[in-house]
Amino acid sequence: MLHRRLTQFFILYAAGVGLLLAFKVALGLSDYVIPGPGEIWRTGQTYGAAYAAAVLNTLGVAVLGHGLSIVLAAAVAVIARLKDWIGGFIRTAAFNIQSYPIVAVAPILFILLGDGLATRLLIAALICYFPLLLSFLGVFSEPVREIEHFYEATGRMTWRLQIKIRAFENLQKLTTVVVGSATLAMVGTIVAEFIAATAGIGYSIRIALYQSDLAKILVALLLIGVGTSLWLVLLEGLGAALQRRMERP
Amino acid sequence: MELEGQDIAYRYPNAAADLFEGLDFRIRGPGFHALFGPSGVGKSTLARLLSGSLAGQRGRLNARGMDRVLYTYNLERLPGWTTLREHFEETASASGRPRLETLLDTFDIRPLADARFPRLSLGQQNRANLVRYLLQEFDLLIMDESLANVDEATRHRILLRIKALFPERCFLYISHNVAEVARFCGDVLVLRGHPKRPPLVVVPGGDQREGAEPDPARLERAMLAIVHAA
Repeated sequence: MLHRRLTQFFILYAAGVGLLLAFKVALGLSDYVIPGPGEIWRTGQTYGAAYAAAVLNTLGVAVLGHGLSIVLAAAVAVIARLKDWIGGFIRTAAFNIQSYPIVAVAPILFILLGDGLATRLLIAALICYFPLLLSFLGVFSEPVREIEHFYEATGRMTWRLQIKIRAFENLQKLTTVVVGSATLAMVGTIVAEFIAATAGIGYSIRIALYQSDLAKILVALLLIGVGTSLWLVLLEGLGAALQRRMERP
Repeated sequence: MELEGQDIAYRYPNAAADLFEGLDFRIRGPGFHALFGPSGVGKSTLARLLSGSLAGQRGRLNARGMDRVLYTYNLERLPGWTTLREHFEETASASGRPRLETLLDTFDIRPLADARFPRLSLGQQNRANLVRYLLQEFDLLIMDESLANVDEATRHRILLRIKALFPERCFLYISHNVAEVARFCGDVLVLRGHPKRPPLVVVPGGDQREGAEPDPARLERAMLAIVHAA
């Protein structure tokens, strides 16, 4: 799984860099606009370690924000399934809010909360919260009648059992949603850092942008890709392990 | 024990017409009876109304000594996170637990007891589902195609064993197999589609018991009567 995901990423990354270099050659652009392979390599050697630490910093915030979103979305979805009208109201509200780009409100959060950890965490959590909530609402509100009927008929159904049945029956879907939203959390954190934070790889990219140093940006993108791939593979592995454990013969 | 329906009618929400109306019937227990009729005539709907898992009917349903009505159907699944034995032991009623070992043998489930439900064949899944209902407290158990995908010999053996093991309970067996309901069931409630009148008729079946041979003449009469009524 890790090998496949990393290979896919490296192919895409190499294609992107290759395209840039092709532009450079075709349009005769200077090294200042698009650096050559040697310059990118040297930048990687110089800044690789610092950028790797910055990616880990960003990843830490994204993981925390993502975890927070998962817990909150699961809790709200569990409560929302109690009554149809509560679920309907939350679903409509979440659908409307998620259609609004959360990063657009990031400046407001920075003005109110400053540029510290709290703001980065909040933006990371907000950006992946609503897609998670909508998926969790769908899963936890949809009865699995073929299994639940027996427990209903014999008076054994409890809310915990209901959630367990629905989560188990949709484990694959939940894993896919959690893995998909992990990328969103990473994007949200980087964008937040890019706008106003003082740490993380987004902040490093902002500095590189002010310096018009594309080599640094390309090195940062490489490390972001590797870091994100490792995280997604870890999440997929956790989901698969959970499913195997629950379905052991 | 008795469950009586008077002038029962039901219309699904937003439907243009009643699914059925004017049903009068009486299910007397203990006994093994059948609900028969063409597809779409409302057998499962009537069963769900009788069990209380569906509401909104018109008419009167009177239960005398038949308060615990369970409805099971052939598409039900057991949760995939436990083995069959764990599930049976966890969900069996106090009075049903002593029956578990007997039922495991009757339904040929013992070799599968440590397997999980998704790994079973369709016939095995239906047998496992029926076992857990037979471990419950009930006065009337409605079995909606509960032995679908089970081979004929096993099905017949199971029906005879159920009748022998639960002589004090009442069963309503829903099946499209006219020979089977005619042979094993006491009363066969034939639900007829529009525009036939009356909408439901009761035909006496063969009610074969364990150890007894079926009476061919009686069986033939019952089958003809059921086919004619349907």
